[in-house]
Formats: sequence, structure tokens, C-alpha cells
Amino acid sequence: MLDMIISQAANGLVLGFLYVLIAIGLSIIFGMLGIVNFAHGSFFAIGAYLALVLARDFGWPAALLSPIIVGAIGMIVEMTLIRHLYGKEPLLGLILTFALALLAEAILRLIFGGAPVPFNPPSIFAGFIEYGPILITKYRMTVLLVTVLALVSFWAFLRFTPFGRIIRAGSRDAEMVGLLGINLPILLSGVFGIGCLLAGLAGMLAGPLWTVIPSMASGAIMPAFVIVTIGGLGSYSGAIIAGLLVGITTAMSIQFAPAWSGAAMYVLMAAILLIRPRGLFGERWERFE
Amino acid sequence: MTPENQKGGKKSGTSRRSLLAGAGGLAATQFAASNFGMPYIGNAAAAEPIKIGMLWAKTGAIVDQATYLAQGGFFAAEQRNNQLLGRPIEIVWLDEPNPQGAQLNAQRLIDEHKVCALIGGAQSSLALAISAVAKKSKIPYVAANAAALDLTGKLCNKYTFRLQPPVDVHTRVLAPYCEKLGKKWYTITGAFAFGQDIKASFTDYITKAGGSVVGSDEVPVSTADYSSFILKIRAAKPDVVIGGLSASDLTTFLKQWSELGMKGKIPFAEISIGNTDIWGVGPEAATGIYTMVWVYNNPGNTAEDKAFVDAYMKKFNEPPADKAWMGWFGMRSLLESIELAKSTEPAAIVKALETWRVKEGDLDVGYRDFDHQMKRRTVICKVKDKIPNKWDYVDVLENAPKTAAEIDEAFGSAASSACKMDSI
Repeated sequence: MLDMIISQAANGLVLGFLYVLIAIGLSIIFGMLGIVNFAHGSFFAIGAYLALVLARDFGWPAALLSPIIVGAIGMIVEMTLIRHLYGKEPLLGLILTFALALLAEAILRLIFGGAPVPFNPPSIFAGFIEYGPILITKYRMTVLLVTVLALVSFWAFLRFTPFGRIIRAGSRDAEMVGLLGINLPILLSGVFGIGCLLAGLAGMLAGPLWTVIPSMASGAIMPAFVIVTIGGLGSYSGAIIAGLLVGITTAMSIQFAPAWSGAAMYVLMAAILLIRPRGLFGERWERFE
Repeated sequence: MTPENQKGGKKSGTSRRSLLAGAGGLAATQFAASNFGMPYIGNAAAAEPIKIGMLWAKTGAIVDQATYLAQGGFFAAEQRNNQLLGRPIEIVWLDEPNPQGAQLNAQRLIDEHKVCALIGGAQSSLALAISAVAKKSKIPYVAANAAALDLTGKLCNKYTFRLQPPVDVHTRVLAPYCEKLGKKWYTITGAFAFGQDIKASFTDYITKAGGSVVGSDEVPVSTADYSSFILKIRAAKPDVVIGGLSASDLTTFLKQWSELGMKGKIPFAEISIGNTDIWGVGPEAATGIYTMVWVYNNPGNTAEDKAFVDAYMKKFNEPPADKAWMGWFGMRSLLESIELAKSTEPAAIVKALETWRVKEGDLDVGYRDFDHQMKRRTVICKVKDKIPNKWDYVDVLENAPKTAAEIDEAFGSAASSACKMDSI
């Protein structure tokens, strides 16, 4: 039994890291733009479809362009639609992004049809890594490494680059950043684009594991919201810890109470919010008070 | 009446003479229609469409199958030039996002759109929900895709007809194949009516056959990652895994089953799958032995089915998925029954559906009167070792059961049925 628990925990960690990648974009978009982006899952789905098309037509290396294209699409969406919502009633953002999610799903269905499209991991990542009771496929290990690399890079970008410092400052007091002569609209477009890029990256990595279907966004968006809520809205480290917690909790519930595995992350969220209503690393943000 | 009419002046749009001429013309038309074998001319003149309510999912996990089911339904109407009883057919398609939503939309179709019959219910839970509305509103309903036992079992009703064989029939057909592979089974089934029926019926079968179920998991619908379930199956070392996952859930499972190296190591079997479930897996990962209601290149298909395949391929440039056929056949049974009834009255349509029959080889296929279950053969198929193109994934092993007596036994008799049919 101990072997199974260790094996499930390792597997849960991989799943958790994938969730983190989806959630982190959602978290930074909320933290810095104040928009609860219901369309975040759509960017995940677009990332998967783009990766599929690029890999099929030009080979797997071309699929790496998918997150960048998704990021660019995200910036266009921000500049044309999202921008008009800043400082307005939060409900408007919910309605617009929800409508965007429905529109994106309809467009994907129009282009690719409603049926699942085959998309499997590249043959170079076929096979497993077995270490004692732990069994992880090479592709999942790659997903884990890419995710960790993306998270560390993004953290370093926020921490050590001037643009990162501006983003962090803007997330706390956007008005003051603007008064200092910084072009705030471009900054916000960039942040939204980065959030979408991360969702696209998650879609590219998850596409070969999950079913690529227009409605796949819904499978991604709920865990992302749960993770952001558990970690604390807008918290980078909170999203990472929460993602791993959700992954491990889901894996353990599958081992011991499989019928409850779908509800496990919601029970975890409820338990954490009862103890700490702002989430694990949630802080008091003046601009949202 | 308008003020002008009330005054009786010449401004009135209808004179007594034109009114008489119109009435005379109408009477002559009705006379000609009834006396020269054209009973529908009167209705055609009115051109009031015959409305059919369609409830196939437009969103959610089952939408891939539902798209084909709907396409088949529209195609059946198109093949009749959208005409029935000399009147245009109007298909009103609403979503079935969940059981509650399906019920609300079924009620809307009946109350607002005034449909004379319903077709839909892409999943068992949705079909059961719609069936309750059909019963309450006394509107004929064809469930073309749901397999849960209760639909034509203990929750049967006079207005509900089901095309898909129920789970226990599929089980009786497939379980002997699984038994040949070994007697230690593991079930992984969806946590809803269809999955629970599969779990119960396969467990019952193997227990009676002296085998055992070494593990059993009920999986929430729309699970994105099955790796933890697969690790459990791997540790349990069963001879066969019996699946009960529907639509894209099955696709996801098979992709991850192959990714985790289980393809070819432990056989996987499932009943009542759809083409799209396998098409989405891809040739590298597809595996398993299945039952399907219909397969486009089954050598046992009837001439009518072959004509349907040709017409479909001509229109859509791809072979029809089984769900397209089910949508088409379900709608065909409904439209032909309305034609047979020569009426859109619910009671007349129900009676016609009970007597509607088509020939499939030696078998008269139709809905049985005592439970409204369609009785026909099921296809047992296996994923090919080498998949030649993106549609041709399976080899047909058998059209089962073979004889009419075996079919009767598989479907059960009126005496053994849990259905206590009500009256109109």
C-alpha cells in the first residue's frame, strides 16, 4: 500500500504542476488587471489545437510556437475588448469573458468539428521512468520539467527585470505607475498576453494527454479557479502550492475514494477557506478593498 | 373585426362574393384531396409545418456524439425533401446541458414550439429526464442513444421509445468474449446511470461464471486525468478491464492507457461505444474490443444502410459515424411512424411507432409493444492492429446474437421485463 501511495503522490505532483501552469496565468491576470478571466480555459484549448495543427503540418518543433501565438491572440483580445472594462463594474468582466469562452468554443467547433481530434505525445518521449514504486512516463516527466522551467523563468522575469518590477508595481497601484510616465495600456496588454501564453503552453503540453475537443476548456478552467482561490487571489507562490495540493489530493482520493475524486479539490477548497478566507497566501489588496 | 368591417362599408377587404368563392375553392380542394388519393393536399395548402423537437447536447462532454446524432436526424428529414404528410418538416433543435436543462428545453419544445414528437437524450441521465417530460406531457419521444436499463425497464412509459439496446443486452453479447480472455476483471465506469448499469451487469455475469472483480472504480464524468486510476489497475493485475466511460471520457482514458504503456498488456473492453470515441484516440493509442450499434463498413449492413452510407458520404465527404446512423434511424422511425399514423396526434404516433417495422436480414426490426425497446443485432468489433485511415479503426467480429431465438433471449421477454407499461 505504501508503494501505491508514493506512486500516486508522484503522479499527483505531475498533474498538480500542469494545473499550476493553467492557474498561474489566471492568477496574474486577476492580480494585475483585476479581471476574472472566464475565457482563460479557451486560451488553453486554443493552445492545444494550435499545437496539434502545427505538429501535424510542420512537425513537433513547430508546436512550440503555439503558446506564443496564443499570447499574441491574448494581447489582441485585451486591446480590443478587455481594456474597456478597467475600472468598471466587475460583473461586466465576468459577462464579457464568459461570452468570449462560449464564442471561442463555437469557433473551434466550426473549424475543427465537434469530435475529438487525435493528438499523441511525440515518439521521442515514448516509454517510462521507473524508480522503485514510482512510474512516470517520459512525456509526463517532460511536462513536469517544462512547467518548472516556465514557472522559474517567469518568477525570475518578475523579480529581476525592469518590466517585471513595473508589472509588480502596477499590480499594486496602477494609477501611480501611470503617473510616473509608464505606458500603462501596453503594460496591461503585455500582462494579459503573458497570462494567455502560459495557458497556451499548458494547452500544448496537455493536448497529447487529454482529449482535444472544443469543450476541453471546461476541464481546465475549474481546477484553475480552485487553485487560484486556495492559493489566494493574485498570489504566485500561493498558486504553485495550491496546484500541488490539488494534484496530490485528487490522486489520493482516486486511491481511497475514487467516486469522490471529482469533488476532492472542492472539499479541500472549502476546508481551506473556512480556516483562511483569503486563501493560503492571499493578502489584503488595497485596490480590491 | 376592424372598424371598417363593423360599418359594413365597401372598405372591407373581404366581400361576400370573394368569401363565397374562397370557401367554394377550399371545399373543392378538400373534395379532390380526399377522393383522388391525395389526403394531404388540404394540409399542404395550409403549409403548417410539422414540428419535431430535437434535444441533442450542444455543449458539454457528449457534444461530439450529439453533433453526429443531430446531423443524422436532419439528414433523415432532408432525404424526404423535408416533407411529411404533404407538409414541411420543421426540426427545432435545443440543447440538453444537463438533466434539468434537458427537461426545461423539452417542456419549451412542447409548450412554446408545439412539437408533435421529441427525439434526443445523448446520455442516459438526459434521456431519463426527457422521458419523464414526455410521459407527463403525453408526447412521443424517441431516445436514440441512451442505454440505461431503466429507460425501457422500470421507468418505461407509453410515450418513450428506445433505439439503442440496453446495457444488459450489450453485456450478454460482449461478456462471453471477455470471459475467454480471463476471469479476473476490473471495472472502471462513469459515475452515472450508464456506467453503474455496466458495472452491475458485468459484475453479475462474471460472478455467476465463477470469476471475480479484482477492482472497481466509479469515475466522475469529464475526468481529465486517468493516470491515477490506471496505476491502480496496473497494480491489481486483472485479466481484462471493463470500461463504462462515455464519449470523450473514453477517448481520454484510452490515450492515457496507451501513454502509460498498458496498450497490449491488459485487454480493454467496453459496450456501446461510438466511432468518434475511437477516432479521437488516434491510431497509435487505439485499442480494445467493443460492441457498437452500427458500423458503416459492416459487411452485414442492409441495402438501405448501404444507400444511407453512400448518400451520406456524397454529402459530407466522410463515412457516417454510428451516431449519425442512430440519429438518422431514430428520426426515420419517427417520421415514417407519423406517416403511418397519417396524423400528428400523439396517441396515433405512439400506436404507429409500436407497429413500425423494417427488415434487417431475417429480422423484423422495430420497437416492441410491451416495453418500446427496439430489438436488433449488435456489432462486436475489435480495433485493427494496423489502422489504414482515419475512419477505418475496427474489424467487425460478429453481428450478434446470431439467431432470432438468441436475440429474443438476449433482449428478454415481456414476462421477465421490469417494464409495467402504462396506457395512453
